[in-house]
Amino acid sequence: MKKLSKQDLEKIKLSRAKEPKNWIKVGMSTCGIAAGSDVVFNALVEEAKKRNVDIEIKKCGCQGMCFAEPLVEVKTEGLPPVIYGKVNKDVAIRILEDHVCNGLMVKDHIFELRSKV
Amino acid sequence: MDKKIILLKDTESAAQDTTHDVYTLFVNQVREGGLEERVQVVRVADIGIYNQGVIVKVMPDNVVYANVKESDIGRIIEQTVKSGKVIEELVFKQPAKQMRIVLRNCGVIDPENIDDYIAVDGYQALRKVLFEYAPEKVIEEMKKSGLRGRGGAGFPTWLKWKLTRDVKADQKYIICNADEGDPGAYMDRSVLEGDPHSVIEGLAIAGFAIGASQGYFYVRAEYPLAVERIEKAIAQAREYGLLGKDIFGSGFDFDVDIRLGAGAFVCGEETALIASIEGRRGTPRPRPPYPSVKGLWEKPTAINNVETLANISPIILKGGDWYASIGTEKSKGTKVFALTGKVKNSGLVEVPMGITLREIVFDIGGGMLSAKGIKAIQTGGPSGGVIPKEYLDTPVDYENLQKLGSIMGSGGMIVMDENDCMVDIAKFYLGFCVDESCGKCVPCRIGGYQMLTVLSRISEGQGVPADTDKLKKIALAMQKASLCALGQTAANPVVSTLKYFEEEYNDHIVNKKCRSHKCTHLLSYGIIQEKCKRCRVCVINCPVNAISGDKEKGFAIAQDKCAKCGEFV
Repeated sequence: MKKLSKQDLEKIKLSRAKEPKNWIKVGMSTCGIAAGSDVVFNALVEEAKKRNVDIEIKKCGCQGMCFAEPLVEVKTEGLPPVIYGKVNKDVAIRILEDHVCNGLMVKDHIFELRSKV
Repeated sequence: MDKKIILLKDTESAAQDTTHDVYTLFVNQVREGGLEERVQVVRVADIGIYNQGVIVKVMPDNVVYANVKESDIGRIIEQTVKSGKVIEELVFKQPAKQMRIVLRNCGVIDPENIDDYIAVDGYQALRKVLFEYAPEKVIEEMKKSGLRGRGGAGFPTWLKWKLTRDVKADQKYIICNADEGDPGAYMDRSVLEGDPHSVIEGLAIAGFAIGASQGYFYVRAEYPLAVERIEKAIAQAREYGLLGKDIFGSGFDFDVDIRLGAGAFVCGEETALIASIEGRRGTPRPRPPYPSVKGLWEKPTAINNVETLANISPIILKGGDWYASIGTEKSKGTKVFALTGKVKNSGLVEVPMGITLREIVFDIGGGMLSAKGIKAIQTGGPSGGVIPKEYLDTPVDYENLQKLGSIMGSGGMIVMDENDCMVDIAKFYLGFCVDESCGKCVPCRIGGYQMLTVLSRISEGQGVPADTDKLKKIALAMQKASLCALGQTAANPVVSTLKYFEEEYNDHIVNKKCRSHKCTHLLSYGIIQEKCKRCRVCVINCPVNAISGDKEKGFAIAQDKCAKCGEFV
């Protein structure tokens, strides 16, 4: 990899400006992993592959809502982004099935905390 | 019409959660209106608003209604859902309590991907200082911002940098102190795990400002994931030439290495930390000379906390004046707290300085976990103190907390309820400091041990009335004579609990009673025969088989066997 010049930052930023339409972020800091987010992450990746769903599944850091870990944030086309908390393998599969595939949010697991500014 | 989502939550007490009933009513009305295809009603687990009745949030319009009654459901569907009209009298507007500067990217970007960080303006601040700023200008900007060290003591960051810059030397160092050891605090770990590049960038800018070409991360080995992510981040930054020789072609050289700490609490103290990096035993030394004059390998060294460094790039990009506009007169910006203990929503919160403790616990934290009332808040870890509930409306900043006998510390905030015994709490924190005392200076080594002996005596019912004075006396000696901050502050939890809860100490000493039922030596359990239903459940469940008897004669607890677990109280 060649070293970046001072203009290259902008190029990388531009290439990243177009966010994918559908994404899932899983909180994978120590608090998340301790609560089982690695199981959730693997379940999501596996299920997505099985169902042939076109979605980007990413790891991210701690959202701050450690009491509700594992946290999964989902954004799909046509729906506002939401954060699911206390997700386990079953809920993860339901998120993929209901939310991602059928556009129906999974009830009782949304943690709509407006902590993000 | 776009697809609408209706989020529902009853935010009154959890015991009478009526979300389910409201949900049914909403679903019925949606069905009656023939809107099933275009509207989804969703029950949520938490909506971030507390004690405001039924909350209804309509997405994507982002309209929030509070205290919704059954009679309101019809018009919400008719007006807001169908035609997007907002019903003003129901609208709930809560001012945003949290403000994310340090945690801006945590949970947003992939910490293992440098491009993700660059996409959110990462390394722009470094480029800006390298090409547009002289090092003095960087320090000037920090001075304007009013940023103070987030490790606990609150020393002005600009001054630390200026003192280090002003010393002439062939080599200088900048160290990131990530030896976070307060019980219950994990802000730094989360920042390093969630956004390592922001700290590396802050470190590089600090290096530029003080004239250092080498930086170190001092991370405790108990944070393997944080270490792994910093390692990855450093490797990626080197690959991009953001660390190493001639960064961006500006002629500035800067590189970073990691040093692992073996988990000694005292190594968070700067001179002990330096000793540990040099490969020596981690014990503090008297200051002066301060590290800014003689630090790592006798060279001028600046040591900044993780959170301080994560603040640097936003300050450079948005300007010191912007940062100074947040917070109180003497404490600027935001502070991350690890909110834990008997609070409903434990986790990390980042709030502007000057917010009250009550707002943090009840508006952001969602209130108490149990029905027991709040008793006190512990801040600052083993160096801090407890703040009783009478002072919940105190605005949080460095000065105010100090006035109350506690400190800001690195950001641990532990909420305690009526079940927590203050003698027990003081004993726990003091025990921690006694364990972690390096043993180099006498006041800390002996004083801590003696205080712990007195406290143990009190909690075991052997206390004598002179004990509280004895504690105060030893505490004063430790504060005045200890070599480093560990010893100077180790007595703080005892002093502050004595200050606010002396009658609780006296209860233990004179009446031999622990009102929180924590000190097991002062407890004994018995069975009230008149009320006993002879169900034998206690016999079956007693973990140490201390309960015996039969249905005719009744049951009794053998006091010598009883482990006082409190399982059946």
